[in-house]
Amino acid sequence: MSAIAVSPEAAPDVTADYVTRVQIDRSCRQTVLGYYASAVAWLLIGSLAALITSVKMHHPEFLGNYEWITFGRIRPVHLNTVVYGWSSMVGIGTTLWLEARLCKVRLPHRALLPATVIIWNAGVVWGVYEVLAGHSTGVEWLEFPPQVLGIFGFVLLVLFWVSLKMFNQRHVHHTYVSQWYLFGSVVWFPILYSAAILLPTTGMVGGAAWATTNWWYAHNVLGLYVTPMGLATIYYLIPKVTGKPIYSYHLSLLGFWANALFYSWIGTHHLVGGPLPAWIITLGIVGSIMMFVPVTTVAINHHMTMIGKFHMLKTSPTLRFVVFGAVSYTAVSYQGSLEALRSVSHVAHFTHYTIAHAHLGMYSFYTMTMFGAMYYIVPRLTRNEWSSVPLIKIHFWTTSLGVLAYFCALSWAGWYEGEMMNNPLIPFIKIVDYTKPYLVARSLSGSFMTIGHIAFAILVFRILRSSDVSMIGPTLFTSKRGMMRWRRKEA
Amino acid sequence: MKLTYLLIWGCMLAFGSSAVWALVWAIRRGEMSDFKAGAESIFDEEEPVGRPTDAFPGARP
Repeated sequence: MSAIAVSPEAAPDVTADYVTRVQIDRSCRQTVLGYYASAVAWLLIGSLAALITSVKMHHPEFLGNYEWITFGRIRPVHLNTVVYGWSSMVGIGTTLWLEARLCKVRLPHRALLPATVIIWNAGVVWGVYEVLAGHSTGVEWLEFPPQVLGIFGFVLLVLFWVSLKMFNQRHVHHTYVSQWYLFGSVVWFPILYSAAILLPTTGMVGGAAWATTNWWYAHNVLGLYVTPMGLATIYYLIPKVTGKPIYSYHLSLLGFWANALFYSWIGTHHLVGGPLPAWIITLGIVGSIMMFVPVTTVAINHHMTMIGKFHMLKTSPTLRFVVFGAVSYTAVSYQGSLEALRSVSHVAHFTHYTIAHAHLGMYSFYTMTMFGAMYYIVPRLTRNEWSSVPLIKIHFWTTSLGVLAYFCALSWAGWYEGEMMNNPLIPFIKIVDYTKPYLVARSLSGSFMTIGHIAFAILVFRILRSSDVSMIGPTLFTSKRGMMRWRRKEA
Repeated sequence: MKLTYLLIWGCMLAFGSSAVWALVWAIRRGEMSDFKAGAESIFDEEEPVGRPTDAFPGARP
């Protein structure tokens, strides 16, 4: 089974393409697995912080005696561990693997890149400590102290350099659409990030200008960093898993450039009704509506590529997670465009509706896509197979149903909360009482998702640990037994 | 507020112009000349169009 040692000449059934691919995967092994393992650990910590935060929403006295985990500290810990711990680390790991695959080159700097895993982790640990100790900057999405943000900035520059190097050494003529999206992410995010940490966290601006920069940054994190990584993954994995090229390649490119041109406008829609010049907010709303163009191209492409292949959702864990993410991308993007309208914001703003929308994006789209990516990539790096079908099923059903329940409960509660807040005759405490059962539903659905994360962490732990055995067949949902045909690896 | 304007407009200009530059570069290099070949560029002899790949590496699905 150790195909790396086998050349096409020595074993006629092994093609040169296969050897190249295995060599590329092997070059990514240490770095990407380092990012993945860390990401899963942060996912668990982030889930714990989320649960504590959520319970405090309906039982404020819960763990109320510990100043380190008061709401104002544990909530930013949840946000920052899932954004900079889980999402960034799983995204960087996937980006490096995809770039190596798309350029058909081995991952360069294999001594330096694993060090960036340690550096990034140290940054998150330091940041979490500072926030728990009460030293948050108070700028949402940038709560970590500027020194920590500088650490992340350094790693992002290394990634930028590595991406350029791989692209320059590529052994392919064509630049695939996923590569464009990944470039968007590795080139735009360091610029955005430097600009954002320069102003609000250094005190160069204050008041409304601070809020403007803050939300311009926070929304661009989604559109110019997270979304490109998610879409690049989907555009690679759906065709690779199904064996069917993208339905319309020119639409996919149109979608990329439309996203590139419109997305950076839209952050100010977070400040609808705020003390800002009206044109700034209007510009954000116009940009949001223009996002209908790239989103529609992506929606058409994903759906039409899947036509005739939907039966594979039964058997492929990767496809099931990735398609769930792709459908959610369409849903969350259309919802976001409409939510930017003043008439909708008039009700939905400052309510739980926005929280539901945010989780539809960061969890239902991005996180589910990245789970799918890990199901595809990790076996190729470890040369082992996932050990248990039941655990994969638990992971899928708890996370998918959990996030749907979360979304429905908070959207419903948030909308009526907004309607009631617009009516001055309704006392505020009545609105609080109204939302309480929905907040309990949020804690329950969050617990459900956390069970899925624990199942996934067990799977990842097992696949990383079992180095002496490997499986011949794929782990599919239709496999009758959790543990499939194991065989001892050849030396 | 002036600094914020400068920052946001500057970055939007940088993002937009980088995208336009990339588009011009791609068209000049002929990246947009054959969409079918582009869509199939992630497939090869060993993982051709029509073959599902969600299988353990090394095992033929």
